[in-house]
Amino acid sequence: MTALEIWATIIGLTLVTLITRNVFLVLGERLPMPERLQHGLRYAPACALAALLAPELLVQHGALAPTLANHKLLAGVAAAATMLATRSIAATMVVGMAAFTAARHLIV
Amino acid sequence: MIGRSLFGGDASLAALRRASFVRGVRAVAPALLATGVWGLVTGVAMVKTGLTEWQALGMTLLVFAGTAQMAALPLVAADAPVWVVLAAATVVNLRFVIFSATLWPYLRRFPLRKRLLLGYVTADIAAAVFVARYADAPEDERGSTEQVWFLLGVTSAIWLVWQAWSIAGIFVAGSIPGEWGLDFAAILALLGLTLPMINSRPAAAGATVAAVVALAAANFPLKLGVVAAVIAGTAVAMATDVALDRLRSAG
Repeated sequence: MTALEIWATIIGLTLVTLITRNVFLVLGERLPMPERLQHGLRYAPACALAALLAPELLVQHGALAPTLANHKLLAGVAAAATMLATRSIAATMVVGMAAFTAARHLIV
Repeated sequence: MIGRSLFGGDASLAALRRASFVRGVRAVAPALLATGVWGLVTGVAMVKTGLTEWQALGMTLLVFAGTAQMAALPLVAADAPVWVVLAAATVVNLRFVIFSATLWPYLRRFPLRKRLLLGYVTADIAAAVFVARYADAPEDERGSTEQVWFLLGVTSAIWLVWQAWSIAGIFVAGSIPGEWGLDFAAILALLGLTLPMINSRPAAAGATVAAVVALAAANFPLKLGVVAAVIAGTAVAMATDVALDRLRSAG
């Protein structure tokens, strides 16, 4: 990205945050919210994050690598287990980074 | 003097405002460590993605939405078009639309400018802490001085801690060796944020489909695979939701 595109992204992201956090605070009751749509909105963020995470964890050197020789996948599994056990993002990051570092040094 | 300009000149009102503000700060205190770590990692990740220090400062001070920033960074690194980055961030931010609906009964009495400011600074943790505290408040008390200054206390604490650690991250990023893979810490944090969102069968079905489509469509031009994955995942989640509802009402 060029510097101009990066600043456009920053300004755009600011507007996105301002707008999404204020939709109802500005429109209030004038905006009807069907239950079906509310449910859909509830699921979209998890889907977006899963779509961003999958390639980061499962693709290695440009190819699909669903094996434990893939350091990032291995660390991701350890991190996910930690999150499910502790519900702490800090602990998840510590365990995940420890697994990632160990895998990098121990598995070639 | 500072107290007077912050909380107003009327002594009893100022005391109530200050007490409510402090209660808000205390209520959010247990979450501040996670906020700090997440801010630090975001600060580092912005610089590691290739943003200059000024761009990273601009991003943290203006955008103030960690998950959206983190979601944007891999797309910025992949040279995706600006509109694709914004579309992905909008979807990640859709949960705020629901939060804003939750906050509306409490803030409806306030002028637009104050609503905009409070809405803008109220992110995930602040909304959760506020709603946990006042969900059962009687309807005629909603938006009371006590509640709004509690929310101000919560959001001020988060804003300060987030910005301080994020800015620290921006300035230490350069001295962290690349081989530590600290940008990967951002991915792990994102993973930690995502898992609690997958708390139902429709969410699990949607997230799985989104992940599979994202992998299958990884080579789509303009990073459009992400867009396709979100649409497919959300559609499957909603369809699963409807199907489960039917099963329940049939059985």
